[in-house]
Amino acid sequence: MKLLSLFVSILCIIPIAFCSVPDKDKFERYHSLSRFAPIELNDSSYEDITSKPRDYHVAVILTATEARYGCILCREFQPEWELIARSWNKGSKPDELKMLFATLDFSNGKGTFQKLMLQTAPVLLVFPPTVGPFAKVDDTPLRFDFSGPISADQLYTWIVRHLPEGSKPSLVRPVNYMRLVSGVIILMGAVTLFTVLSPYILPIIRNRNLWAAFSLIAILLFTSGHMFNHIRKVPYVAGDGKGGISYFAGGFSNQFGMETQIIAAIYAVLSFSTIALAMKVPRIADAKAQQVAVIIWSSVLLGMYSFLINVFKAKNGGYPFFLPPF
Amino acid sequence: MAESPTDVLLKGNTGRNTRGLLRFIILATIAAAAVSSRLFSVIRFESIIHEFDPWFNFRATKYLVQNGFYSFWDWFDDRTWHPLGRVTGGTLYPGLMVTSGVIYHVLRFLTFPVDIRNVCVLLAPGFSGLTALAMYFLTCEMSTSPSAGLLAAAFMGIVPGYISRSVAGSYDNEAIAIFLLVFTFFLWIKAVKNGSIMWGALAALFYGYMVSAWGGYVFITNLIPLHVFVLLCMGRYNSRIYISYTTWYALGTLASMQIPFVGFLPIRNSDHMSALGVFGLLQLVAFADFVRGFVPGKHFQRLLTSMIVFVFGISFIGLVVLSVSGVIAPWSGRFYSLWDTGYAKIHIPIIASVSEHQPTAWPAFFFDLNFLIWLFPAGVYMCFRDLKDEHVFVIIYSVLASYFAGVMVRLMLTLTPIVCVAAALALSSILDTYVFVSNGPNPRSKANDDSPSEGLRSARKPEVGITSYLSKAVMTTSVVIYLLLFVAHCTWVTSNAYSSPSVVLASRMPDGSQHIIDDYREAYYWLRQNTEHNAKIMSWWDYGYQIGGMADRPTLVDNNTWNNTHIATVGKAMSSREEVSYPILRQHDVDYVLVVFGGLLGYSGDDINKFLWMVRIAEGIWPDEVKERDYFTARGEYRVDDGATPTMRNSLMYKMSYYNYNSLFQPGQAVDRVRGTRLPADGPQLSTLEEAFTSENWIIRIYKVKDLDNLGRDHSNAVAFEKGHKRKRATKRKGPRVLRTE
Repeated sequence: MKLLSLFVSILCIIPIAFCSVPDKDKFERYHSLSRFAPIELNDSSYEDITSKPRDYHVAVILTATEARYGCILCREFQPEWELIARSWNKGSKPDELKMLFATLDFSNGKGTFQKLMLQTAPVLLVFPPTVGPFAKVDDTPLRFDFSGPISADQLYTWIVRHLPEGSKPSLVRPVNYMRLVSGVIILMGAVTLFTVLSPYILPIIRNRNLWAAFSLIAILLFTSGHMFNHIRKVPYVAGDGKGGISYFAGGFSNQFGMETQIIAAIYAVLSFSTIALAMKVPRIADAKAQQVAVIIWSSVLLGMYSFLINVFKAKNGGYPFFLPPF
Repeated sequence: MAESPTDVLLKGNTGRNTRGLLRFIILATIAAAAVSSRLFSVIRFESIIHEFDPWFNFRATKYLVQNGFYSFWDWFDDRTWHPLGRVTGGTLYPGLMVTSGVIYHVLRFLTFPVDIRNVCVLLAPGFSGLTALAMYFLTCEMSTSPSAGLLAAAFMGIVPGYISRSVAGSYDNEAIAIFLLVFTFFLWIKAVKNGSIMWGALAALFYGYMVSAWGGYVFITNLIPLHVFVLLCMGRYNSRIYISYTTWYALGTLASMQIPFVGFLPIRNSDHMSALGVFGLLQLVAFADFVRGFVPGKHFQRLLTSMIVFVFGISFIGLVVLSVSGVIAPWSGRFYSLWDTGYAKIHIPIIASVSEHQPTAWPAFFFDLNFLIWLFPAGVYMCFRDLKDEHVFVIIYSVLASYFAGVMVRLMLTLTPIVCVAAALALSSILDTYVFVSNGPNPRSKANDDSPSEGLRSARKPEVGITSYLSKAVMTTSVVIYLLLFVAHCTWVTSNAYSSPSVVLASRMPDGSQHIIDDYREAYYWLRQNTEHNAKIMSWWDYGYQIGGMADRPTLVDNNTWNNTHIATVGKAMSSREEVSYPILRQHDVDYVLVVFGGLLGYSGDDINKFLWMVRIAEGIWPDEVKERDYFTARGEYRVDDGATPTMRNSLMYKMSYYNYNSLFQPGQAVDRVRGTRLPADGPQLSTLEEAFTSENWIIRIYKVKDLDNLGRDHSNAVAFEKGHKRKRATKRKGPRVLRTE
């Protein structure tokens, strides 16, 4: 009887011992799986790596990088994530601070996604250790939701903030030597090309009409709100709700991509007719032709300007002025 | 040809005098028109300082007038940024205040009994008259046509793009800065044309004045070197450029370093490095030019050229290395955000939060410039016809300024002058061609028509002039119509969009009469009369200057925004729960909290609409405690009604905005007219603050921060106890307790 109870108690102790003393190699095992890059997980290894007890931090990104899932954010963030893992694994850190970086792709871990009831990807989970010097009582993972495209630096500061005190490796972006070298080569090539071709290129560079065209195009682009499109990422056109296309956005501080192009074209026509009237027409020697040209250009001017005011009136409801044709 | 009486007046010596007189009268009329079109707000409302920043400038001017120049220079202001204070004398551009101080003292000396407030209110319109004059001079340098300058002056006088920042009462740095900008450019062009040290020194003098007046001086600091650089690239180096630029740079840099706020920036900041670099390049080019005169050898010349390129390259790399290593400060945030348009949104939310730093949609261009916007490219094109040194300047300025204006709404102001110049060039060339009565080309516009072979394509054939009267009549009529439309547009825009003081709001009664909503001043005067002189007022930074100016009370943060952390502290206090906010309020000695609430009136510029920026800025400093996501519902909506998130409903800002708002309506009928939503039936409860004042239309609400409880209870207990005690129904009042424990 005594023996039995002893046996039972031993039997009881063994799992407890197995539970409380973590599998020492688990960290080493996973750490050796991949030296610098994040560890690729599947459903079972995810369970294993996050199972208690653990004496290490583990940061898992749940993502869906395959093209068929259409998660642009996931694909864009993946290299950044690898950068974080690489910087951490290469950098110097306190010995007792153990941290693993892992990736669970949706195609390998559907079960986990279902279990966690994840509707969106990517999601970052950081599991604190349950044993060891940095163990936390509350072992629920920290969760980071991606609200939009972010850089590795932002996420890394978030992770570091939730780690215990102490020095952490800083995020190191690898120098792209290839790009540096190719940049230098391209620069040298361009200089050489320019020197060789200068007799042909110089007249083009010195061409006044070319520069005039460049400046005018730049001015027209900027004054028709191109920078607004660029910064706000406005849609090119939008539907009007009845199956048609609305070219002009409602509201004074709103615009579509196409709208600005139309406006730039209107400005261009107006400017060009002004130039024609001021510079070309007085140089027409034939009186009849000149008369016709004046009438044509001035009616183009009038019509376009009237259209422009009309468009502006549509954008700005209370505008009281108009010009006859439109 | 018979001598008509007008010929006597318009020809020969008398003619020149007559034309001079006419020009003078026209310019005076333009100046008068410019001043008077800016007086809408004074006539409609009263002589009052507008908006936000002008209130600080006004306060600083009063300080200057009362305490003299030297104490103004050393002014440490302990009534803002409590408890930090602000070294105001060293962190402002003193030009504006000193200008109005001088005007005030001169008028006093001449025994005009003026009030300093009226000097401040009318400073901007007064300077707009001068701007028109400066514009006349600048444009006359660009064109031989006598009408161009007058047209440009007229455009500049009434164009809304400039009026927007210079109506009476808009007492801001831009009020004098645009005049200085235009005049400095005029002096610079004059210097380049004449190669004269005098003009260069004058340009430096006005540049120094400009530096003392407005942070936008960096535009000049970069534009003039760029002009010189392009001229060098075009192979147009000559001694005129050397003399004018070196004079301008040496004197101008010294002058700019006299301003404490600028100090050593001109030699330490990347914004100013292009000026230094071009200065160095110019010395090299001048040296090469000098040596070339003595050494005929072709090889040696080539060696010289390559050496100069080499030295320039080395110093350029040195500059890059110095700025990377931090000896030279990197680009300032505001300036950098012009190039990398996504930069501000990520790194400096406080810059991105300001509405005038948003990009410009096309209607804004048309609104501010009307038909000048399409004359502008035509005028720039005409600059390519002669392409003298000054025309190169116009072209560079046009392209750069249109880029800047596209990126930031407020930089429309720097675009406007050049648009006026270019449009005036275009229009004057049309007028000179078509209004001239007799047939054949206009002899006065002949001077510049020597048609070089490499000129523009449209200007290669000789000019013959307009032959038919019909053409002349058609064009003259249409131009006159466009001009009239322009004047009507400008007047309408000025009167409707740019003449509201924004301190006083105007609305229409059902019968069409005007109703003035004066909540701001009502609340500020309440503060002035009912609170301690040293009572600290906390509000969002937008209202800091106004509280300082109108209520004369210390504030925690204001529109100067020099300390992001302090602003984030206020943001955190506003966006956290009362239990978190109260210690912050106590630590900062806050006596009153002021919020702006537009829900009753439908005033959309209120704090609930700005709230997300407070959250964002606070999140930048305390990312663990304040999270923007918590203020949005699960579906990503920003709501204030029943669906609002608990974080939102427990935030101090929400509570202060909607506290007691229900009592205005039937039970359950409370409506927020800005957000257009119905509010929860139970209004928020406040325990650490008590309502002190609410203005007539509820736009401003002021809360007093309670002192610590006499019995040492926390405030929510005390409030619950008192309520229970009064109504003797403690059980029913458990609501707030539940709220607190979660």
